[in-house]
Amino acid sequence: VSDAAIGATGGAVARMLVEKRVVVCCGAGGVGKTTVSASLALAAARAGRRVLVVTIDPSKRLAETLGVQRNAPAPVSLPADRLAAAGVTEGTLSAWMLDPKLVSDRVVNTFARTPEEAERLLDNRMYRDITSMIAGMQEYTAVEALHGFVEDGLYDLVILDTPPSRDALRFLDAPDRVSMFLDRRIFNLFMPGEGSIIRRMATQLVEKVMDVAFGEQTRRDLQQFLELFGGVLDHLNRNQHEMRAFFAQPDIGFLLVTSPAREALAEAEFFARKTRDELKMHLCGYVLNRSLAAQAGFAMPDAEALPEDADPALRTGLSRLAGLARVERSQVAGHLALAAELDIRAGDGFAWVLPMLGTGASTLSDLVHLADVLVADDPPGTAPPTEEPS
Amino acid sequence: VHFLDRRVLLISGKGGVGRTTVTVALARAAARAGKRTLVCEIANPEGGPSAIGRLLGARSIGPEPAPIERNLDACHLWARTGHQGFLQSVLPSRTLVRAALRSKAVSKFLTAAPSFHEMGIFHHLLSLLQAEEGGRLRHELVVLDMPATGHTLALTGLPDILLRLMPGGPIAALLEAGQAILNDPEQGAAWVVTLPEQLPVTEAIELLAGLEETRMPAGGVLLNRMPSDPFTADERAAVEGWLDGTDGVFGEVAFRRIEAADEALARLHAAVSTPVLVLPEVPGLDPAAGLVDAFDAHMTGEGEP
Repeated sequence: VSDAAIGATGGAVARMLVEKRVVVCCGAGGVGKTTVSASLALAAARAGRRVLVVTIDPSKRLAETLGVQRNAPAPVSLPADRLAAAGVTEGTLSAWMLDPKLVSDRVVNTFARTPEEAERLLDNRMYRDITSMIAGMQEYTAVEALHGFVEDGLYDLVILDTPPSRDALRFLDAPDRVSMFLDRRIFNLFMPGEGSIIRRMATQLVEKVMDVAFGEQTRRDLQQFLELFGGVLDHLNRNQHEMRAFFAQPDIGFLLVTSPAREALAEAEFFARKTRDELKMHLCGYVLNRSLAAQAGFAMPDAEALPEDADPALRTGLSRLAGLARVERSQVAGHLALAAELDIRAGDGFAWVLPMLGTGASTLSDLVHLADVLVADDPPGTAPPTEEPS
Repeated sequence: VHFLDRRVLLISGKGGVGRTTVTVALARAAARAGKRTLVCEIANPEGGPSAIGRLLGARSIGPEPAPIERNLDACHLWARTGHQGFLQSVLPSRTLVRAALRSKAVSKFLTAAPSFHEMGIFHHLLSLLQAEEGGRLRHELVVLDMPATGHTLALTGLPDILLRLMPGGPIAALLEAGQAILNDPEQGAAWVVTLPEQLPVTEAIELLAGLEETRMPAGGVLLNRMPSDPFTADERAAVEGWLDGTDGVFGEVAFRRIEAADEALARLHAAVSTPVLVLPEVPGLDPAAGLVDAFDAHMTGEGEP
C-alpha cells in the first residue's frame, strides 16, 4: 500500500530497511531471492546502515560480487572502493555464506557438557555423516547463526536469505512438528536406562527391531552418538521457544519474494499463511521479481514508421518483433493486475515490483539498479499518472 | 539404447524449471509408446496434495499405484510404506512385525531418525521396481519426480552413506539391491530439467557433476521452455542494432531471452558430455499435453548417441 506521507524518504521498502533489525526473505527456488536479498542489503547500506546479508547458496557470480566464499568462518566486508562505486558512503555491507556444518560444530562446541564430549562428538562418524541429513538442521543452523549476529551488535540490520524449501520455516513450528528427531521424548527411547516399565518395554522393542535390522554394532554406535548429542539436543529444544519469541518481535520482518509464475505465487501464499497467520510474525510485504509490470507505457515496435530506405531485414525483423511485443504487452496487463492483487493481499504491508533484468542479474551495477527501484517512492508501473487533469 | 529403455528414470532439477510438468509429459509419452509406466513423486507430507495428480487430473494419489490412462499408473512414495515392507522382510515373526508396526516408538523412530525417512522411500521405490503381475513386471518403467530442495542428491547419495555406516545386515542387502538397479547405466538414469537461462544452466551443470559423485548414471539434460526463434540471422542482427538505439519498446525482453537461450544452450553443449533434449516452450494452460508431443518427436526421431 503506497503511503503518500513517506514522500522524500522513499517508499515502504525504504522505511522497512531503516526500521527493522532483521529481514527474512522467503520464497520458492528460482525467483531470484538471493539477488533481491543482496539488493536490499545494498539499499540499506546506502541509507547509512551497517548491514550483513546471510545467504545460503549464491550463484558463482553473485558470490564474487559480494566477495563471499564457501567455508568462510566469518562475514566478509565489501571493500571500500567497491562500496564507494555502489554509492555507499556511511554504511557498511558484509556478506556471509551460511555453512551449516560450521554452525553445527560451533553449537556442539558451545553446548556439549564437557570439552571432551564435544571432541568425541565431532569425531563420531555418525555425527559427521548424519547431522547434515537431519531434517530441519540446516534451517536450525541458519536461525542460530542469525541470532548470533544480531546479539553481536556489529550490525544494524541482518538480511537472511532462506533456503528455497518449505522447511525454511520448520524450525519455528510447534515443537511437536519440528523434526521429531530433535524431540527429547523420542530420543530417550533409544537410550538404555531407567524409566517406567512401559518405557523400558518400548526401548527393548526398539532395540530388538534395530538389532535385527541394522545389526547390534550399528545400534550401539547410534546409541553412543545419541548419548553424546543429548546435551546439544537439550539446548536446541530450549532454544526453540526463545527463537520463536525472537522472531515475533516487531522489528523483525518477513518478506515474501515471488516471480509471476503460478508455482512461485502458490509458494509465497504458503509462506504468507505460515508467517502471518500461524506464527504471528510480522509480514512486511511482497516483492514481485522479474515482472513486466514496469513496462507499462512502453511503445510497440512499428515497421511502418521506418524510413523508406530502411534495411529490408530490419523491416521484416521489426514486424516479427511486433509479434513478440503483442504477447509481451498482454503479459504486462496480467502482471499489473497481479501486483495490484498482491498489494491487497499484503494488507498493511507492501507489494513491490522489480523489473526483469535478465536471469544473470548479479553484477554490482545490477544490484545498484535494483536497490534504486526498491527505495523509490513507489514501485514501478504503479505510480499514479502525473498528467491527470486537476 | 533409447533414453526411455530403462527401468527407472529420476527427474531432478531446481524449483521453478517445470520439473513436474516434464516428468508427467515424459511418463505419458512412454505410456503412449506402449510401455507399462509408473509415474511417482515423494509425498510431502504423506497423504498430502499431489502435484503429479493435479497435472494428470487425478483426484488423489496414494502409495498404491492407481490407473490414470492406458499403460500409465501413478503413485506417491511413502516412507511409511517402505518401513513396513522392510520390517516385514527382516523381522523373524509376524507377531514382532505387528508389535513393531503398532509401536509408536518404533514408527516415530523410523520417521525421525536421520536418513531413515529416505531409506523408507528407497525401499518403497525398490518394491515398486520389483513388483510383478501375471508373471511379468508390473511396470516396465518407473519415472520419479525428485524433490526440488537441497536434498536432491540425498536419495541417490544415501546408499553409499548408509553402507559406510552399516556395511552388513539386511539394510546393506536392501541398499545393494537398489544400487544394482539404480547405478546400472542400462537400467537407471537421472535426468536434470533446466531452463535455457544463465543461472539454471549453471545449476544443471553442477547437479550433473554432483550426480557423478553418487554413482547414479547421468541420462542427460532436459532443456525446458526453449523459446522459438522467428528471426533469420540477418533480421536478428538488424533488430539487435535497432534495439540498442531504442528505449522503452515491447518485445525487447522476449528478444533478449531468445539470445540468452541460444547462449545457454551453447554453453550447456560445451560443458556436458551427456545428451541434451530440447523441449520447446509450450503456450497455453496445459503445457504437459504439448510436451508429450515434443517427447514423442524425440522418441521417434532420435535415440541416444
